[in-house]
Amino acid sequence: MREALVIGSGIAGLSCAVRCAEQNMHVTLVSPHPSERAQSVMAAGGINAVTARCDEGDSVACHIEDTLKGGSWLGGKTAVTGLCTHAEDIITYLESIGTVFTIDRQGRPLRRAFGGQSHKRTYFCGSSTGKQIVSALVMEARRHEAAGTIVRRLHLHFHSALIEDGVCYGALLFDELRRVLVPINASAVVMATGGQNALFGKTTGSVLCDGYAAGRLFMQGALLKNLEFVQFHPTTLETDQKRMLVTEAVRGEGGRLFYEDGGRRVYFMEEKYGPGGNLMTRDVISREIYTTGREVLLDISFLNERLIDQRLQEVRDLCLKYRGIDVLTQPIPVAPSVHFFMGGLAVHLNHETSIERLYAVGECASMYHGANRLGGNSLLAAIYSGWVAADDLCQRADTRRRPVFAQAIAREQNRFAATFDSQSSFPVTYMRDMLADVMNEHMGIIRTEEGLAEGVESVEYYQSIADRIHYDPSVSAYANYSLTGILATAHASLSCALARKESRGAHYRSDAPQSRDDYAYSTLVSYDDGTYHTWLDREQAYES
Amino acid sequence: MRVRILRQESPTAEPYWESFCYDGPTETSVAGMLDHLNFHDDILNDAGQKTRRIAWECSCMQGTCGACAMVINGMPALACDTFLRDLVAGRPEEEIVLRPLSKFPVIRDLVVDRASIQDNLKRSDVFIGSYQPMDDESFSHQYEAAKCLKCGLCLEVCPNYTNGNAFFGAVFANDCYLVHARNREKSREIKQTYARHFGSACSKSLSCMDVCPMRIPTIASMARLNRRVR
Repeated sequence: MREALVIGSGIAGLSCAVRCAEQNMHVTLVSPHPSERAQSVMAAGGINAVTARCDEGDSVACHIEDTLKGGSWLGGKTAVTGLCTHAEDIITYLESIGTVFTIDRQGRPLRRAFGGQSHKRTYFCGSSTGKQIVSALVMEARRHEAAGTIVRRLHLHFHSALIEDGVCYGALLFDELRRVLVPINASAVVMATGGQNALFGKTTGSVLCDGYAAGRLFMQGALLKNLEFVQFHPTTLETDQKRMLVTEAVRGEGGRLFYEDGGRRVYFMEEKYGPGGNLMTRDVISREIYTTGREVLLDISFLNERLIDQRLQEVRDLCLKYRGIDVLTQPIPVAPSVHFFMGGLAVHLNHETSIERLYAVGECASMYHGANRLGGNSLLAAIYSGWVAADDLCQRADTRRRPVFAQAIAREQNRFAATFDSQSSFPVTYMRDMLADVMNEHMGIIRTEEGLAEGVESVEYYQSIADRIHYDPSVSAYANYSLTGILATAHASLSCALARKESRGAHYRSDAPQSRDDYAYSTLVSYDDGTYHTWLDREQAYES
Repeated sequence: MRVRILRQESPTAEPYWESFCYDGPTETSVAGMLDHLNFHDDILNDAGQKTRRIAWECSCMQGTCGACAMVINGMPALACDTFLRDLVAGRPEEEIVLRPLSKFPVIRDLVVDRASIQDNLKRSDVFIGSYQPMDDESFSHQYEAAKCLKCGLCLEVCPNYTNGNAFFGAVFANDCYLVHARNREKSREIKQTYARHFGSACSKSLSCMDVCPMRIPTIASMARLNRRVR
């Protein structure tokens, strides 16, 4: 029987699993936690689509243009055309499974303006769009679970893929309850494991998204792409436990950025870019905030209270709860923070990686967003990528002879079991924190060749000692074994940033501040026994 | 500040209490405090003895995923959403007591296995099927009900919920409501399912609404599902 193994159960994984099940493909959907814990639930703003009821002058072509332009022309036109063309189907689909969009008096979903876009085309569900979509998809997946086409397995962490001669046959997973490695065979494996937040420590996203899976697959031969493009969200609120995202919707509804200078409010974005300055792309705003060198504030106190409560209630609650700020009377102090990774596993148009029958969807795949992502395109891409991968893998027969992995599995199992015997009390978190310091220092909003080279040197050092240190076994075994993969993703990211000797989208090099035509291609990076090799994808092998 | 935690090394081990001295920032949440306690070369209890790091679950750290649900000073709550300033309120000598949710099997320390929440929804067919929404259903209540985190706090506090074998609790009622609102053809069937696993045994203490981190007005779901089957 043909069977898909989907690893990760956020919006991309759920969409893929449900789409496979609709085509009678049997799906095993694995994740350490239920979908409600996925980072997808934190996506606040909305989902872009040009529909029959679009603004006058808007069109799918405009959405494509905005996406390509926002991505500094690195996104593939064919891929982006597919994404934007299917956006209306996706909104219709989401409505049909019960997603509670915010509606007008006639009961039609409302749209809001989002940064970097020529028209108002972002559909939304209050300020918890991601959560509402997850709730609807979970219920839809449940229908297939009841029918037996989707089997969910919790408490399983990705360990490695079962690969032979460049072909994937399944994956090895760590069963947290039994503390053993479990192999699952499949006709195709779909990675939906999210972005590499852990590289930077405190970000706006989930602490569960760490970049391990991409790093481990990279070490097993999969190519990574465009890792230098890390999106900083310009407006986040610093708190003791994390960076809280203040959604772009706040600016979409009219919020204004300013700093104070001698008692005078300087609306620096509007002064420099005109009335639409507060809705410039995220990279531009992040850099502008960074270069002010001052505390920047976001004001919505002039907005109608009812509108704030209807559309931005979560933002109001968040500011009050974590910082005691009442947005009705006080501006919100904001600073940029790592928010999204345009880079990830290199995938072809069908979302298959460089390893045959190994797919990647959602944020762990690098596709559509080029050098920077538009707000409202990530939820769209999560669903669309899930569909594309599902449709592709469902129409492929599987008549392959399955190689025997028993020996390799036993070897991993023994190696793995040995880590439980450690007497050390050294917490692996120390290593992760040191890595985050390196990444924030050298791969932040503004980068230099010298800084990036220093970053590579530091990560190389951590890599050289990571396997020789014994870690405290009283933390989750996953936290310990994931370090090597996370370090590999970090090293690959710094290598990509070092190789791109220009500035483009979210990648800004103060020693090379201009874009260069000869760099108008994606970066690919490969791993060969400790060697990191980068090159530009001039043939557009991975995104066209 | 003293922190007392009910610990358990594995699903089959015996639980035991262990106390810690917390000297970190007070302008933080219980989640921040747990991070602080764990983040040292060694983790020591209040007797100065080396011990295991405290296991607890987290993802979003901003009260939107439900991972860190536990019992804090006797009240079911999210650790990332409960602040030390509110717990000690000017009385630093106050002890903070943490224990895992008691209505689920413990995996390790404060981490529990909440799979029964999903299993109950699955085995009682709580899904929409075809989308045929009721004409008169409130979108705003659907929006509220769909915010459910499946965190289990409502089940922990509920006087009627024990192990989830027959009575499925508020988390179930809200998902039943969503099915009722979205498929009028399935309304009768879902109301019967609701009555069997919720309506017939709920004693209406409504404590579920007091502890819900999303402030879901479960009583509104109940009112709609309790209406006579047409």
